[in-house]
Amino acid sequence: MKIVVGIKQVPETDSVKIDPKTNNLERSGIQGIINPFDKNAIEAALQLRDQAGGEVVLLSMGPDSYTSSLRDGMAMGADKAVLVSSRAFGGADTLATGYTLAKAVESIGDVDLVLFGRQSVDADTGQVGPIVAEFLSVPQVTFAETVSLESENTIIAKRQLDSAVQDIKLTLPAVITVRKELNNPRYETPVNMKESFEKPITVWTEADLNLDPSQIGQAGSPTSVTNVYAPTKEVKKTTILPEDPVQAVSELLGKLD
Amino acid sequence: MDNNEIWVYVETTGSKIEPTSLQLITKAKAIADGRKVVAVVPETSSINAETTVKEYGPDQIKTLVDDHFAHATDEEIADALFQVTDKNRPDSLLFPATILGRSIAPRLQAKLGTGLTGDCLDIYYQDGLLVQVKPTYGDNVMCDIVCPDRRPQMVTVRPNTFRAEKGTGGATEIVQSKFTFHKEANSEVVATDPIINSSSKLDDAKVVIALGRGAYSDKNIKLAQDLAAKLGGMVGVSRPLTDEPEFSHDDQIGIGGASLSADLLINLGISGAVQYTVGIKNAKKIVSVNIDKDAPIFDESDFAYVGDVTDFLNALLKQVR
Amino acid sequence: MSITIEQNKMLIQMIKEFTANELAPLDMDIDSRGDYPDGLFQKVVKTGLLGMTLPREYGGADFDYVAASEALEKMATGNASMAVTLEGHFKTIEQFIKYGNKALNDKYLPSASKRIFAFSMTEPSGGSNPKGIATRAIKQGSNWVITGDKIMITNGGLAEVYCVLSKTEDDQLAIFVVDKDMPGFKFGKREDFIGLKGVPVGEVVLNHVVVPDSHLLGVIGQGLEIGDNAHADARVLMGAVLAGITEHELQTAVSYAKERKAMDTPLYQLQVTQEKIADIAIAKQNIQALYQKGANDKVAGKPYAEVAAMAKSYGSRSAVAAGDKALQILGGYGYSHEYPVEHLIRDARAMELAEGTIEKMNLEITNAEIAK
Repeated sequence: MKIVVGIKQVPETDSVKIDPKTNNLERSGIQGIINPFDKNAIEAALQLRDQAGGEVVLLSMGPDSYTSSLRDGMAMGADKAVLVSSRAFGGADTLATGYTLAKAVESIGDVDLVLFGRQSVDADTGQVGPIVAEFLSVPQVTFAETVSLESENTIIAKRQLDSAVQDIKLTLPAVITVRKELNNPRYETPVNMKESFEKPITVWTEADLNLDPSQIGQAGSPTSVTNVYAPTKEVKKTTILPEDPVQAVSELLGKLD
Repeated sequence: MDNNEIWVYVETTGSKIEPTSLQLITKAKAIADGRKVVAVVPETSSINAETTVKEYGPDQIKTLVDDHFAHATDEEIADALFQVTDKNRPDSLLFPATILGRSIAPRLQAKLGTGLTGDCLDIYYQDGLLVQVKPTYGDNVMCDIVCPDRRPQMVTVRPNTFRAEKGTGGATEIVQSKFTFHKEANSEVVATDPIINSSSKLDDAKVVIALGRGAYSDKNIKLAQDLAAKLGGMVGVSRPLTDEPEFSHDDQIGIGGASLSADLLINLGISGAVQYTVGIKNAKKIVSVNIDKDAPIFDESDFAYVGDVTDFLNALLKQVR
Repeated sequence: MSITIEQNKMLIQMIKEFTANELAPLDMDIDSRGDYPDGLFQKVVKTGLLGMTLPREYGGADFDYVAASEALEKMATGNASMAVTLEGHFKTIEQFIKYGNKALNDKYLPSASKRIFAFSMTEPSGGSNPKGIATRAIKQGSNWVITGDKIMITNGGLAEVYCVLSKTEDDQLAIFVVDKDMPGFKFGKREDFIGLKGVPVGEVVLNHVVVPDSHLLGVIGQGLEIGDNAHADARVLMGAVLAGITEHELQTAVSYAKERKAMDTPLYQLQVTQEKIADIAIAKQNIQALYQKGANDKVAGKPYAEVAAMAKSYGSRSAVAAGDKALQILGGYGYSHEYPVEHLIRDARAMELAEGTIEKMNLEITNAEIAK
């Protein structure tokens, strides 16, 4: 089984803030880490590989520095990695990103399953998985809570909607995005860390992929960001209740009615 | 051909209509400014969701009726929607940011080759464009996003961001849309099990008692549960407490958890990180109890009590009938 | 960035995560129950941490002492016991790598990433004094027959392979490798120590255990040299553990001093508190500098025994003293089991004794200075 896991490198989100004066993102000095949800996708891929054999290929789109996340994924046990990297891909929104990744999956070839984390913690909200599935014309299960191999080419995945739980049977090839609840990602092991520097990371530019230049990068992106700012807080008029709890409660109940 | 309409996808599961879709109809009407508000309702022949949807006053309801929708896959729903949107593209197309909405919308987006902004917290028109306000970086940062050239302008909107209001006036035209349900050969919903407890969701509870790290003790949990029972409400927690054995992810309020629409929310020992407060901004009355007088949660509150959570709960339990 | 630096960064990042998720939350529990909870040690094994320093040819990751010591520092910041368990293992396999013959290493080292190896010198008759060694190794054909009693073995009971300091018939010291599955091998009692409560420290009784010639580590007569070398390696790693303990003391003291107020003034704004926090912070930095110099010198092939002794001598005393200051900042809470400070003092105190007492280290440091 050949499994591709799409991963994204993200800044450690808690530390990203907006400068309230300039409205600029303060990202300096913030380390890139592997998108936490993507680790669940890698773990799912490794478990399927351990069960059915085959290989796990990591796929990411971004600058050279993304190799550190690809290495992290290989230190968990993935076999190799592909980085799609070029200035031509810059400024891509979810549509252009999904298109490019789908083309990369086609170039990797003979892929049975593409896995993604449910969403990246920094920017998008889980759109890329379904977009890739659509461009590849393959079925999908999103937000999967369980993924089990039913036969050589079918998988049953469980997904929880607001009012029902669905069991969805997929005939491979397919795309699955996974929830955090699916598994506990394994730790990188010291031996795998060393090996991650010996495993190949293939870098592809637009020249290596069979794609339509008008569908990548800024040109292929229908949306644009016009403004970035800190969330405004509505200041409420707050009534401070008296210190004595009994008085506080009676005043509160009086005012609530 | 494009038109000047705002379409809202009405999600139905079983006989239930997703409340966010109704909220979006109300919002669409508020920002329409002459645009026609159209509710798009894929449903089985037995649901008749249009009867309920009509009460919220869209200008038109397009139903897509096929019994296969009872167990339809994302691919099948996206395909059906594509058939009705592609030839006569609306100006904007709004989805609830539910699991289903977030799964179908991007597939449809790729089919239509247009832009989609996920998980919006606000939408409005400016200079003829739909401005899509979206949080990023764990809600620490807000972005305004537009889709200038392609149509429809697609968004998914977070549940309970807006309030649904039943409409007045104007007649609603109900149209049954022509389309063909295409079975997808490579995927199939083989089982659908209803979630029994779906009625007791935090999102929809009228009264919520919320516990945070600063109130975590056996005694306070018990008192909070007693109070919730007395007020006919539910107990929720901030993110850190979901790691404790008494609570789970289902009890979480804020990012990744519930967005409240409660009439009364009582915050106990919650400091008020943005990750939490984003989930409470639609609560009507907010009471907060914290030992730290500088806790940010007080800025979001109508009533503030600086002091001990247990004392406050005891007093409240005594005085509430 | 060189590959080595990148790899070391990866290791430290992973150790921090592992410690934060798996060890730190159990720190108080390990101290109060006096053991590792079920499954914890297995998790450490599964994550491949035992093979951190083992050469690649034996299935290890071959991280050097600069990386391994920093890893143990970070781990000890969350839980010192597990860091000491790894220290005992790392220093033992280091002696195989340096002194082991090919047959021995081929036979044993491939399992060193799955099971713990331990080093045993001390006997009931007293201390680590080599002259009093009563364990006997008698030559019989191409085998050795070993009989004796070893106590206070770090990881005794948990470890499966033991390096045993013995005396031959002609009164020469030699180290033999025995396996817990060998006939005549028996575990004795576990010490009831007051600190590092997770680490089993125990006894091994050998009654005519037969090992082949190849189980001799190094050569006959090299027992003391190997013991000294093991001490030096252990002391670098213990310096790292002590830096971690001191960091834990520092974090506890600082967060308390920020939260707790005396008459509306946070404690950290009081000069009496500042003096203590500064002392703890300086101590931590000094311990770190000492063990890191030891590790760097070892990796660079320079002599490192003296600075290793300094790291442990200075480190253990300073960590105990720093813990005492942290306790004072926390007041009554510091003296209670509710906060970790009191057990950190007990943990650190162990290292004024283990791997050579402070007095022995100071003697070695003095001898080294006299000889210069």
